[in-house]
Amino acid sequence: MKAIDIIHAEHRALGAVLQAFRFVLDGIRDGRFEPDFQLLAAMIEYITQVPDKLHHPKEDDYLFVRMRARIPAAAGLLDQLEADHAEGARRTAALRGALVHYQGMGASGFAGFDAIAGTYLDASWKHVTKEETELLPLARQSLTPEDWAGIDAAFEANKDPWSGPTGEFRALFSRIVNMVPAPYGVGDAGVPGA
Amino acid sequence: MSELLRLENVFAGYGEAVVLEGISFSMEEGDSLALLGRNGMGKTTLLSTLMGAARHHSGALHFSGQDLAVVPAHGRAHLGLGWVPQERDIFPSLTVEENLTVVSRPGHWNLQRVYEMFPRLNERRANMGNQLSGGEQQMLAMGRALMLNPKLLLLDEPLEGLAPLIVQELLAIIQQLTEESGMAVILVEQHARQILPLTRQALVLERGRAVYLGESATLRDDRELLDSWLACGTTPAAH
Repeated sequence: MKAIDIIHAEHRALGAVLQAFRFVLDGIRDGRFEPDFQLLAAMIEYITQVPDKLHHPKEDDYLFVRMRARIPAAAGLLDQLEADHAEGARRTAALRGALVHYQGMGASGFAGFDAIAGTYLDASWKHVTKEETELLPLARQSLTPEDWAGIDAAFEANKDPWSGPTGEFRALFSRIVNMVPAPYGVGDAGVPGA
Repeated sequence: MSELLRLENVFAGYGEAVVLEGISFSMEEGDSLALLGRNGMGKTTLLSTLMGAARHHSGALHFSGQDLAVVPAHGRAHLGLGWVPQERDIFPSLTVEENLTVVSRPGHWNLQRVYEMFPRLNERRANMGNQLSGGEQQMLAMGRALMLNPKLLLLDEPLEGLAPLIVQELLAIIQQLTEESGMAVILVEQHARQILPLTRQALVLERGRAVYLGESATLRDDRELLDSWLACGTTPAAH
């Protein structure tokens, strides 16, 4: 699989979990679901660990390096995206802390968790959209076949959008699908009476 | 690997109407093929022809060393063809477990293995077919086809109408089937870029004729060709 296809595939897998997370948050806020902390923790694990450990390092180390060397005009865009990546650890810590706080506080802690989670989701979608609509078209247009050969080889070694290099995220993804209520998943976590 | 399926200059359709014209391709045991094309180009008709549900007008159809054209529709599953139709065709008044066991044949795939692949079906095994969500129904349809222990699994748009999270899960399972199970798979889908990485060969149909037959990787890397035949989307689901 080519590097761009791998990035698209990882964005789709990540986007699917981001979308399901929003669905679950909306359901708790509207009173359709009760909080299921195992599900919330699993989704937070996926949407924070996969970008930080699997997705961003490949972009930073291979794609961004080649783009900086080849496309001087991309410097501003790359600076923004790298800043997003660097900011990931702080936002991840805030989201995890908010979940622990919510779990400890009970229902009264939801509003705070909802706000922090919403900010995290918005930032994640904005980042993915920027890469899809600005970064990848520019890369496709400007990098040479020789550039792509090196980038593709590096990405090919780590290409499965669901698994991670040693398969550690595959089971986590499946667990999320099997817990999220229909129609977004096939589970019933948090569904009253289930 | 030995040859499993071979079509030579096949013409087929419904009644006197011819939908497929001159289709030829072959698959080996354990092979995988993405069957692509816009709506109404003949993809489902090709699967229906293999299963005996469409009329085979002419041309050679060989499966597992036998002339498929002389095998009645009800005998084709016994030969080793497993079909997951677009409509899923779950038995609504049977439980999940009954849906799985009513068609089972001996082989690698049994209840335990199907439940390991689709743990949600195990949780819902006592529920009736008509009590399942769309995602659960698709998992049941795939699990039921696996219980036949087919040599060739035909999946007709298994991702259609499902939420992105379930789509991604089924893609991972299909990847596992094509890479590890030893079973051959024909996968019909609209989402070409998502399934081309999972298959070895691709066949693109346009108005019932083959306009591309070759390596999936070659087609995947040719964006202009893909866009001209298939209008492919690449971005993640809208939020």
